[in-house]
Amino acid sequence: MNSYNEIGYQDRQNLTAMKNTTSGVNNNNFNKCNYVQQVTPNDLYGAYAGFIRGNMFPDLYNQYKISRPFEVEPMNEQAQLLTYVDAYAFGAHDINLYLDTHPNDRAMIELYNQYRLEYKNALDQYEKQFGPITVDSDAILTSPWAWNNSPWPWENQ
Amino acid sequence: MWKYTKKLQYPVNIKKRDPKLAGYIVTQYGGPAGELAAAWQYLDQRYHMPDDRGKALLTDIGTEELAHVEIISAMIYQLTEGLTPEELKAAGLGGNYAQFGNDLFPSDCFGNPFNMAYIKVAGDYIADIESNMGAEQRARATYEHLMDLTNDPDVLAPLAFLREREIVHYQRFKELRNYYLEQKEKAGK
Repeated sequence: MNSYNEIGYQDRQNLTAMKNTTSGVNNNNFNKCNYVQQVTPNDLYGAYAGFIRGNMFPDLYNQYKISRPFEVEPMNEQAQLLTYVDAYAFGAHDINLYLDTHPNDRAMIELYNQYRLEYKNALDQYEKQFGPITVDSDAILTSPWAWNNSPWPWENQ
Repeated sequence: MWKYTKKLQYPVNIKKRDPKLAGYIVTQYGGPAGELAAAWQYLDQRYHMPDDRGKALLTDIGTEELAHVEIISAMIYQLTEGLTPEELKAAGLGGNYAQFGNDLFPSDCFGNPFNMAYIKVAGDYIADIESNMGAEQRARATYEHLMDLTNDPDVLAPLAFLREREIVHYQRFKELRNYYLEQKEKAGK
């Protein structure tokens, strides 16, 4: 759909061709004694691929029971646009945690800022089309008060 | 302070009601390895971390755990949405219905209410962070047990997501612990 192209979303294409196929497979690094993470931005999953795994870092990826991550399958355009907001927010957040323990990693700070901007962009588009999900959004300049509107996050879509 | 974003961190859209499973998943809401306990443990410990690195990590992971409380709550809500008292009773949730109606209540799978004594604080930042590593590992194991109890992809997907978050958090706490141990050693303490 157009709106996804507009926000430059390429991760669906990157899904099967992961950037780092050797370390992208199931591994047990997280349970290795004193495992030290050394990553560059190119080692990470794209935002969508990381989001559906719950993990932006192939070298920490470990799955249980399932043989591959579940795709998020949005039911409508609203849910699909929200998936982009989710994916970029997730990418930025997981890098945020990494930077908390690697505060001098300049390349990863740049990647954080890329995802932060992609998130803002996707959020802005979502809120313009479907109403505010942050109470300080410009999309809240409406009457009646738009913050009250469904869907609520816990409601089945 | 905290700001609400009107979305889940990971979407929950469960088509099939399963009150029995809801009665197991509730332990990740109000049980000993649950998200509520994790959130409060980290947000409580952060005040006495020795430097900015620890204060940042505990604030950020503690905040994420609050978002996980919401994911688990959404799962319980959807697994039991619209069920009759009879259906809840048949699934072993008659006691829940008697006390709480259809409201959510943070407990473990046996109905024991959430207990703040689950949270571990020791006034020692190494002990605190190591208890957080343990908390992440116990939560990961619990998610595996919950995944063993269902084959519904709508339920497995958010459980797999949450389990994976425990792995990443465990790594971050381990890095923080190792960093502080190195700092101590350098300082000859």
